[in-house]
Order: sequence, then C-alpha cells, then structure tokens
Amino acid sequence: MSDQLKNAEEYTSGTSRRSFLKQSSLITAIALAPNAVVKAAEEGLDEKIAAAIEQMPLNVTINGVKQNLKIEPRVTLLDLLRERLQLTGTKKGCDHGQCGACTVHIDGQRVNSCLTLAVTTEGKQVTTIEGLAHGEELHPMQQAFLDHDGFQCGYCTPGQIMSAVCCIREGHADSPEEIREYMSGNICRCGAYSNIVDAIMDVKQGGKKV
Amino acid sequence: MKNIDAKTHVSGTSVYLDDIPLIQGTLYGAALGSPVAHGVLHQLQLEEALREPDVIRIFTAADIPGDNQIGGIIKDEPLLASDHVHFCGMPIAFVVARTREAARAAVKKIKADITPLPVITDPREAQAQNQLIMPPRTFSQGDTEQAWRECAHVFAGAVDINGQEHLYIETQGAYVVPQENNSLRVYSSTQGPTAVQRTVSTTLGQPMHRIEVVVTRLGGGFGGKEDQANTWAALCALAAWHLGKPVKYALHRMEDMAMTGKRHPYMADYKIGLDSSLNIIAYEVTFFQNAGAAADLSPGVLSRTLFHCTNSYYIPNVHATAWSCRTHLPPNTAFRGFGGPQGMFVIEAAIAHAARVLQIDAAVIQQKNLIKTGDEFPYGQIAQSEAGACWQKAATLYDATGWKQAVDAFNATHRLQKKGLAFMPVCFGISFTNTMMNHARSLVHVYTDGSVCISTGAVEMGQGVNTKILQVAAQIFSIRADRVKLNPTNTINIANTSPSAASATADLNGKATLMACNAILERLKEVAATALDTKADAVTIVNEQVLVNREPTGWDWQQLVSAAFTKRVSLSEHAHYATPEIHFDTVKEKGHPFAYHVYGTAILEVTVDCLRGIYKMDAVKVVHDFGSSMNPDIDRGQIEGGIVQGIGWMTMEEVIFDKEGRLRSNALSTYKVPDIYAVPEEIVIDALRSTADNLAIFRSKAVGEPPLMYGIGAWFALRNAILQFNPEADIPFITPMTPEKVLMALYSNKEKGIIQQHEATTSHLGIDQ
Ligand code: FES
Ligand code: FES
Repeated sequence: MSDQLKNAEEYTSGTSRRSFLKQSSLITAIALAPNAVVKAAEEGLDEKIAAAIEQMPLNVTINGVKQNLKIEPRVTLLDLLRERLQLTGTKKGCDHGQCGACTVHIDGQRVNSCLTLAVTTEGKQVTTIEGLAHGEELHPMQQAFLDHDGFQCGYCTPGQIMSAVCCIREGHADSPEEIREYMSGNICRCGAYSNIVDAIMDVKQGGKKV
Repeated sequence: MKNIDAKTHVSGTSVYLDDIPLIQGTLYGAALGSPVAHGVLHQLQLEEALREPDVIRIFTAADIPGDNQIGGIIKDEPLLASDHVHFCGMPIAFVVARTREAARAAVKKIKADITPLPVITDPREAQAQNQLIMPPRTFSQGDTEQAWRECAHVFAGAVDINGQEHLYIETQGAYVVPQENNSLRVYSSTQGPTAVQRTVSTTLGQPMHRIEVVVTRLGGGFGGKEDQANTWAALCALAAWHLGKPVKYALHRMEDMAMTGKRHPYMADYKIGLDSSLNIIAYEVTFFQNAGAAADLSPGVLSRTLFHCTNSYYIPNVHATAWSCRTHLPPNTAFRGFGGPQGMFVIEAAIAHAARVLQIDAAVIQQKNLIKTGDEFPYGQIAQSEAGACWQKAATLYDATGWKQAVDAFNATHRLQKKGLAFMPVCFGISFTNTMMNHARSLVHVYTDGSVCISTGAVEMGQGVNTKILQVAAQIFSIRADRVKLNPTNTINIANTSPSAASATADLNGKATLMACNAILERLKEVAATALDTKADAVTIVNEQVLVNREPTGWDWQQLVSAAFTKRVSLSEHAHYATPEIHFDTVKEKGHPFAYHVYGTAILEVTVDCLRGIYKMDAVKVVHDFGSSMNPDIDRGQIEGGIVQGIGWMTMEEVIFDKEGRLRSNALSTYKVPDIYAVPEEIVIDALRSTADNLAIFRSKAVGEPPLMYGIGAWFALRNAILQFNPEADIPFITPMTPEKVLMALYSNKEKGIIQQHEATTSHLGIDQ
C-alpha cells in the first residue's frame, strides 16, 4: 500500500489532476490485474476511465430535498454541503475527523462529514443542522441547547446538536456518565460541556421523540 | 437574558468568516510557511508551482507595495520573509488560485532555497546569548536583600511552564473584497479590527480610511486572534489589491497550528522566604519568557506576568525581573490570562515547595498571606481586597475541613488510588496594562419606529459581550430587548478601537453605550417635558411608558421618539469612554494600572490511579467575586469554560517543538484538549456578591480571564495526590502534568529523580513533512 502511494506521488508531480486520475486509476488497476491493464493502457482506455470518473453522478436526499448532482469523486460530504449547496451550518474544525464540528446524519446515523466522501451517500438521506427544525419550531435538542446555554461561541454547536440527537437515538444517554462517553468525539473549546450534558439529559428525560 | 445569538447558533445560521457568501470570481489563497526555523533565504523557485492548473499568481515580499512589516508593539516582523526565516511556518509566499485545492497544491510545489542557521528554542539559552525582544523589566517593593536575613525559612527552585495552543474551533481566516475608489473591505476573524486595518494599511501603503474591516463574530478567539489575525488579512489584501479580485483564505487546522503563536512558555527561578509564623516576607523571581521569533504582544504579556507574580498574596519585599527572550518559535501571543497565569504558577510552586519541606499544608501558607484591603501590590496599587472573603466563604460553604478529612480517609483506605486536594486563590487586575488602550466608543441610533441599533468596537467571540451591551441599552431606555439590535463590528462605524481582550471589552464598550444611551435619553426627556409641560427631571421611562412624576402620561416610547424626530432632535449619539483613575509610570514601575481586581478561590479535588498514572478531576468548587453580575448565565458559562481551559493547560495540553523548532503536536491527534470526558465531574460556582462601587459596567465585574487560573490548582492537587502515594516522589515544577509525567513521578525518588526523562518519550509523535 505505502509503495503504491509513493508511486502515485511520483506520477503526479508536475502533472494535472486529470492525469493524476488517469494514472491512479491505472495504478489501482495494476495492483488488481496487471496484464489486463497493460493492455488497457495500450488501447488508451485510461483516458476514458479518467473522463468517466472525473465527474460522478450523485443522487442524494439532503434535508428532505432530492439532489441530482455531478461531483468529483474526491469531494467530501462536508465540502459538498458547505461549498456546493451553501449549507454552511455544518462546520469545518479540523477536516480530519478529530473535532466533530462537521457531524451530520446519514440515514439517521451520525458521521463526520469531513471523513465521508460525498459519492458514498448515493441514494441516502442526509440531514444537517439546517434540516433538523420543523419550520419555525426548533427540534427538541436545539431548544434544549438554547434553554441550557449549551454553547458560547457557537462554532461547535451544530455538530454537538447533531451528535446529541444520535446519542439519544442510539440509547446512549441514560446517565451523565454515558453521555460524556458517547459525546466525547465532539470538542468544545469554549468548554460549554456541562451545559451540553444538561441539555441532553433534559431531552432524554422529557421523552420527546428525537 | 439569553445570549442574543442563541437562536442562530442552534439552528446553524450564525455566520462566521468561512460562511460568508462569496462574490463571483472569488480567488483562494494559501501561504507557504518556512520549513526551516532559522536560516538565510536565498531564492524561491516558483516556476513549477505557477504551472499548476488554476494558479493565478504567487506573491512574495517583493510584491508588497508598502512596508513589509506587521509588528504591532515592536516593528520586528515581516509579513513575508525576504532574506531570512525566523521560525517554522513563517509565511514566505502566498499562492492565489481559482480553487482552494489548487492553491494548496501549488504551495507544495514551491521550492525555497534556505541555508539553515543555528536554532534556539530555549528561552534561557536565548537570554544567555542576549537574544532579547526588549530590555528586562523589574518590579520591586521593599528590600529583599535586607529581608532574607529576617527569614526563618528560605527556599529556591526552578519552574518550567509549557505553552498552550488556542485551538479556537474556527481557524484563522480573512476574505478581502475590493471596493471602488481603491478601497478594500476586509472580513476578518479577528479580535482586533483596528489592528487588521492598520496592518493592511501599512503593508499596502494606503491610508487607513481606504480599509474597512468587518467582523460578525468569532468561533472562539481566546487571545489567539488578537494580533495573529493580521497576517491572513494582510496577505489576502495584498493579493486583492494587485488582482482587483476578492481573495479568501481560511486556514486549514494544521496550517493554523503550525504557523501561529501560542501561549508563552516560561521558565523561572524563584526564591521565597518566610518568617517563623509563616508570613511570606520576601520573594525573588526571574522569568524567562519564550517570546518566539518576533515581539507580537510579548511585551504586554510580560508586564502582566510581573503584575500577577504575587497572585493574591501580600509580600512586603519583592524583586521580580522578567526577560522577553527571542527564540525560533512562531511568535507567541495573547492567551486568556495574558501572562498572568504563568506568574501565578510560579508563586504557587514556591509556596508548595515551602509547604512540602515544612511538612504543612500549602493552604496554611496561602491563607495566611492573602492580600488585605489597604495592602500595596508590588506595582504600587492599593488593594481593595476580596481575597480573604472569597477564601473564607469557600472554606465554609464547601466544608473544607470535612472535605479534607474525607480525602484523608480515602487515602488511608486505598493503596493504589490516591486523592489530592488544592486551594487556588486568584487575583486578577482588570484593564489593559497599557493605560493608553483603555477607551472605547459606541454609536447608538434610535430609528423613527423606536427600534435601536448599536455599533461598538467589541468583537463577539462567545463571551456574550453583545448580549451585555444590548442589556445596557434596553435597561437605560427601559424598552423591550427585541427593540435593540447589535451591528457587526465595523471600523467604518467605530474607529481606533482597542482589541476585544483583557476581559475589559464589556466594561469599556458597555460604558460607552451607557453614555450614548443616556445622552439620547436626556434629549428625549427634554422633548417630553416641553410637550407635557413639565421639567425634564420629572420625566422617566419605565417599561416603554413615559411617566411624569411616576404617573402615566399616555405617551409611550414610540410616541416619544416620533415627537423628537418631528422636533428635529437628534436620535443618534456617538459616545467615548476612557477608564478614569488609571495610570502607570513605566520608569518607576509604579502606579494604579487596574480599574479594579477580580478575586476568587477554588478548591479542587483529583483522584490518581497510581498503577497507570491516569487521573480524574473529581470536583472544582469556586467562590468567585462577580461584583453584581448583570448576566449570571453568561458569566457562569465563562467561568466553567475558563476552568476547563485552565485545567487543560495544566494537565493534558502539551505543546511539543523538536530541537529544530518544528511543531510536533500539530493536530488534534497529537495535541489533546479537554473533551467532555475530561471536565471535572462536579463544578460548583458560588458568587461573592460585593456591592462596593467599582468601575465595572453596572458593577458587574469582568469574567473572561480570571477563572482560567483556577485550573492551576489542578496541577497542585495532582502533586498532592502523588505525594500521598510516594512521599519521596520527585515532582519537578514542570507543566503540564500529563498522565505519563504523573506515572514517572509516582515511581520516582528524590535521589534518583525521575527514571526516564520526558524527551525520550516524544518519539511516538507523528511527523508531518
Ligand atoms: S471537521 Fe470533521 S471532525 Fe473536525
Ligand atoms: S461553543 Fe465555542 S467551541 Fe463550543
């Protein structure tokens, strides 16, 4: 694997991303079936492969709206949301799956959207912070964060709320200890943690559907 | 009252820098940081990078039309390196491309031809080589030389305090949009809009009136976006100026961590002397501040270290010297507490040292020496002290005696788990230590429909300052809060602002708003008095109703405003507030630099797992001097957040640079900040309500920075727990007290010291090359 990566780097230096795609598809293919690919390369097939995968179709439902998109396969769900669809409520804190600011739901499960390639959401339902409320009526978790001041600067808040909803859905909110454990992937540098725990406990005990 | 941003925060509609809708044609920047900490920069090879698709242009020092200079206090920092590089991550070139990815990819293709020079990362070494940011400063009081002779006990030692990464969850960034008439609009994630304006103006060689800086809010600042925000704004401005196109740069987390300065690491030597009844009568301390490669805010940070070097204690004889040492690290900068926490850690270490040798509880020495009203601080200000009151209340309210007995009982019955308890008193001065900066302005408009909008120089970064300012206006006018709106901070509305820092923002901008509202209110009362045929001082407004001699008149707020408008009375006011009473003589190092002090006492309990070295924070219980809080919800949040950040700094947050000056703790995977699991199980905050008059807005004392220093107690609680397990333990005064350091200390002894030095354990850290 690491050798392949090294090769990929050598191949890409000084070339366009397009040729990177060509070559990396070639490299992957070499690893899989050397003979076939050598032949394919001779026939100029790599050019066709690259062209085909440069823009991939993506059909995904985001906050209840069906989206038919064409995207580059390397685009993360986070960048798709923020930069293509202007859904900037989902935040980028690290882009490395280390802070939780980018948490969204895919088919009801919480994921770090910065670690999710958008193409993998084909046919799925994505919910972001913008899709949580019902019109003007806040989702119970949003209301609880508001009631308990579960934020200071607010930057981690969308991720916290999306994560908190799933924390309850998963059945991991029965005690403050359990909430701490299952919310520990969401960093809040302002340190609003104790209010966040209170907010989640409140929703859990209120018994409203989340 | 709830934070006015609550609704937008929970619905994801609050706009931060990276969320601003982009204008078509916006280009993206990315900076190349120096790969070498110190060296001669011969040449940059840009050709390959320029051949990358979508790259528009690469800017270097030669493209800067004005001064290549971003130093605020001292002019010692270029925007882009031209002939030398002084730290890893120092910006050398700025690539602008059509997409963010292209810009970042091209950065990797630039080759910098650099001859390395010797690298200094240790402040003592820098001091020895006379590498100083400025001459040393000394605060003194009494005569320590004389006093040593009267001491029954004298102890001396050394301290090594690590830095702290700000790790605001929103990274640094800027977005610059060219305007007509050679002007630029700069959106910046900054605590100091005027500093950004000045920096852009200097580097472009354009007058300040051409540069408009707009800040909506920050996703955290903590001091890290005070002067360090200037670079990115100036780089984007440089490109936008040349290209005539909007240019944006929001830093990637790893760029941010690698290129920006942090809390200052300090080293220090102390000597403390006590008389036979445990009064501290002499204290000498020398601080070696690791300033990094340029001054940035280091001189200011240094002064606060000196101001707070005796924390909450009265010591009649003090001699404190501080050196600001130039090393090859990114320029260190403001961070909540601004040098105060480092000063306080050293005196707490000295007291802990004395207590250990004398075999008494450090709390005995701490309590005995708390500063009293009328005592003089080493810088000449006379204390209005709440230190004793906070301590007393904490000891009683939280039953310190019973608590200690419970901890002792636990330790007596547990062999492999030990608890430690520590008191942490805090005394923190409020005002910018640079007297010149203590002023603010507020612009208040009342519109003809009775709605109000306010502009100030305050930057909202989670501290709730805009909510407090709104409260001021609503209260003075006695109108509904929803009639009032706060504008984004903008240098066009409010000029020459001081940064949002020093915990003083709500006081300064709140007071200016108070003055502006009062001026309008006076005019409105005149209008009412004329119309209702009475005297202005008989008129009051209560809950939107206009009263004369406390009787309803049938007039309400809206009617009053309309009447004033038709009478051509001004409904706007721009007020200026400058903190009275403060002064400081930097030659004598004496004066009255602070409007007031905030006091408090925390008691902290930890439990250490003596097999593994891991620990948990059981409880932090605080009595905090709020004055009379105007927004207890917000203030409580600030205290909790400060405590968590302080504990993080003291326990888990370990900034690691290697000997070549490269940052090894360069991502959230190698630099741990407190997660929800690291927060003390129990946080209790009680208010010491003092009604004494002070210069705080509505007598509600500042709350941003002081609570961070309660976290210092965590270090000493851990130390006490380790000593319960191993009374012979060697526990050097080195921060942070990570679990591995705890483990090493648990099994150390005074003769052999710690078994394995820490440097040897850093090899597991990832290297990003
Ligand atoms: S941005 Fe995705 S986890 Fe930090
Ligand atoms: S509210 Fe600021 S990071 Fe959580």
